[in-house]
Amino acid sequence: MADNNAIRHNEKNEAIQAALEKKAARKALINSIVPYFGLIFIVGFFIIVTQGKFVSADNIGNLINQGFVLIMIAVGSSFVYAHGGMDFSIGAVSGVAQLVCGLLILAGVPLPICILACVAVCVIGASCTAAISLLLSVPVFIGSMTVRTSFTGILKTATTNSDISILFSDYAFMNNTAIKAVILAVVISLGIYLFNYTTIGKYNKALGGNMLTAQQAGVSKNRVIFMAYLLMGTCVGIASVFAFFRAGTVSAYSGNGYEFNIMMAIVLGGFPMTGGEKSRILSAIIGALTVTCLSNGLQLWGLDALLVSGVKGILFVIIVALSYDRSAGKLVS
Amino acid sequence: MSENLLLSARGVNKNFGATRALIDVDVDISLGEIRGLIGENGSGKSTFSSIVAGAQKEDSGTFILKGQEYHPKSMVDAQEHGVSMIIQEMGTISGITVAANIFAGRLEQFAKGGLLSWKKINAEADRVLADIGAPEIKGSMPIDMLNFEDRKIVEIARAMSTNPDLLIIDETTTALATKGRRLIYNLINRLHEENKAVLFISHDLDELMEVCNTITVLRDGVIIDTLNKEQMSIELMRKLMVGRELAGSYYRDDFDGTSSDEVVLQADHISLRNGFENVDVKLHKGEILGFGGLSDCGMHELGKVLYGIEKPLTGEVNIIKDGKKKPVTDPVTAVSYNMAYVSKDRDKESVILGASIKNNIVLPSLRNMKKALGYISPRSEKELTNKQIKVMSIKCRNGEQLVKELSGGNKQKVVFSKWLGTTSDVLILDCPTRGIDVGVKADMYKLMMDLKRQGKAIIMISEELLELIGMSDRIMLFKDGHFTKELMRSEELSEKTVIEYII
Repeated sequence: MADNNAIRHNEKNEAIQAALEKKAARKALINSIVPYFGLIFIVGFFIIVTQGKFVSADNIGNLINQGFVLIMIAVGSSFVYAHGGMDFSIGAVSGVAQLVCGLLILAGVPLPICILACVAVCVIGASCTAAISLLLSVPVFIGSMTVRTSFTGILKTATTNSDISILFSDYAFMNNTAIKAVILAVVISLGIYLFNYTTIGKYNKALGGNMLTAQQAGVSKNRVIFMAYLLMGTCVGIASVFAFFRAGTVSAYSGNGYEFNIMMAIVLGGFPMTGGEKSRILSAIIGALTVTCLSNGLQLWGLDALLVSGVKGILFVIIVALSYDRSAGKLVS
Repeated sequence: MSENLLLSARGVNKNFGATRALIDVDVDISLGEIRGLIGENGSGKSTFSSIVAGAQKEDSGTFILKGQEYHPKSMVDAQEHGVSMIIQEMGTISGITVAANIFAGRLEQFAKGGLLSWKKINAEADRVLADIGAPEIKGSMPIDMLNFEDRKIVEIARAMSTNPDLLIIDETTTALATKGRRLIYNLINRLHEENKAVLFISHDLDELMEVCNTITVLRDGVIIDTLNKEQMSIELMRKLMVGRELAGSYYRDDFDGTSSDEVVLQADHISLRNGFENVDVKLHKGEILGFGGLSDCGMHELGKVLYGIEKPLTGEVNIIKDGKKKPVTDPVTAVSYNMAYVSKDRDKESVILGASIKNNIVLPSLRNMKKALGYISPRSEKELTNKQIKVMSIKCRNGEQLVKELSGGNKQKVVFSKWLGTTSDVLILDCPTRGIDVGVKADMYKLMMDLKRQGKAIIMISEELLELIGMSDRIMLFKDGHFTKELMRSEELSEKTVIEYII
């Protein structure tokens, strides 16, 4: 009897199946474009409230300058977040890298060497974080906290008496927006290539998905994770060089808050905090753009600088509430 | 009939995304009935039972329980209505006592003025445990002191402590040895005599035939048939489940246990921390070597040592290639010597549940797919995936579907696909057919024979004696961390002979 039933309903079933598949496809599409909507909404909102000033030539230049650092770091951090890692020390490490860069320039060392030293400090900082957590088998949270504390200490000690400043006009070319745009384009392209088309990105995503499975499939966990931190360190280094020449000075607050802006970018862009399959480097970049537009737009709108943080915080909570995947706690999956 | 009816389900539908798990399901369960529910993995039997038990909600359909409309909001709500379930692989909560596990979420009944009386709770737990036939387990014991089987019994106690009218048992017996099984059968008998009902889900068809009054067969979310005691036969049930006749025999039909003299994997003097002593293993080209024993005899750990996942206390493992010994020190070297490993714990170790079929299948092959500048072309990934989906006939929408949406058998096919997609010469398969239905099981055995014919070497670790006897060229048996006996393939080999050396 039930068998006949099944045959009789065959046509109806096919229609239901087709409808369900359409629904699932639509849901997947919506999930994938929500972060873009966030960005578009924010851009649209600020264009209206600033009467177009937000997209004026001047402000576009500002956006590139402000966004450069965050987008650059976001590209490198994607590899770390993809395997479920994180780094609290980015800001502190960047601060010390800028300090080293400034001191070398004041000492009359040729510019290329100063730049290399700046990048090297960031690579060393990231390596320390990775090495501490991998070799001692402690959570990366602990590793990066240790590095953060030490590097903050160095920066604060060195800048106790006075900030370190260089003559801004000597290095105007390091603030050329066109050069920055080109470097950014190159780094983003390289990042996308490594993330999507080589084992570096794929192995990091696999480790984020299931560490045991990836290891049993022959993925060398320590090597792959270390590689991710090296890439991140390099990107933080390049960002630090340009951050330094833009500010022209190093203070105890140089680099302050980078790690939290990155985390916010990761979440706003829809990049999963646990890494794995759904990690997309483009999500991190979109997230970084969103955070940049948000900070810039709120200031341009005339909001008190002290309130900007508060508003960002509230938006952060709202977006996390809307997008965070809570299904992991379900009893029967 | 109708006054005898306990539960009546009408037109139940449930979808997971685009997958239809249940389609217009009608089920009637009478008082005193022991109803078996069978079907391949993914046929919807666990979905149906978990809806009845309140673990998830139906999309449409009605349930009538004891003459009243029944739509449980939660598992606790279901228990209050008299429906309790023992869940497949749910487990107990570690770090607390047995009693706290049994009454987890229902401790309010023992509260007085905001304080809990643990004396009362433990006493009540002891009573429940004794009642179901396990008086040796006490409520005050820390749950982590118990072994796997006893923890399962605590789960049974948890379900029985609510005194259910309908007990749902979801594949629990696969995890149980003799003691636990006997306990469950006694309970089922008692519920039957008390005119209560049981919904029993199992892969073990012999067991079901023995225990159940009626058996309902599900396939692809549709009820295919309901058999009464006279109609039941293993062949018919298999046919209804799979939807086609299963041709030929289940296991291999030859008794030729000879294989090449060429040793491909050699382990010498392996000792492990948990008392595993001085074991030597030699695996030959084209050989299926079985490891048999109880689940805690150490053979699973030995499998991990052979693949380099765990380090042995003493001894070494070598792959032998062109007459040269190459040490296996970790999975990375193992994979580079074309070894493959399928874990007993599939969901935790062998698949990335949240990843697509494609990304699971290509993972071990990526290192061979690199072109200039490390480039891996998306097209070659797709080609490999589609080829494997076709060869292994994985039931899925396409390679982009997430593995967690697949049924157990199809997940296992993905695991095999990933290792066959790269050239694996030595395969270590730990319980390769665990929790897999008959159709896929037969496919797996056929696959193993194909691999053997191609000259691949296989170690099959299994707790199922029939499977060991049915498939192995040679069987190594273990008991409590000791190697006890080596048996060659022969027609005379019986379960009885094997059991002697493992218990």
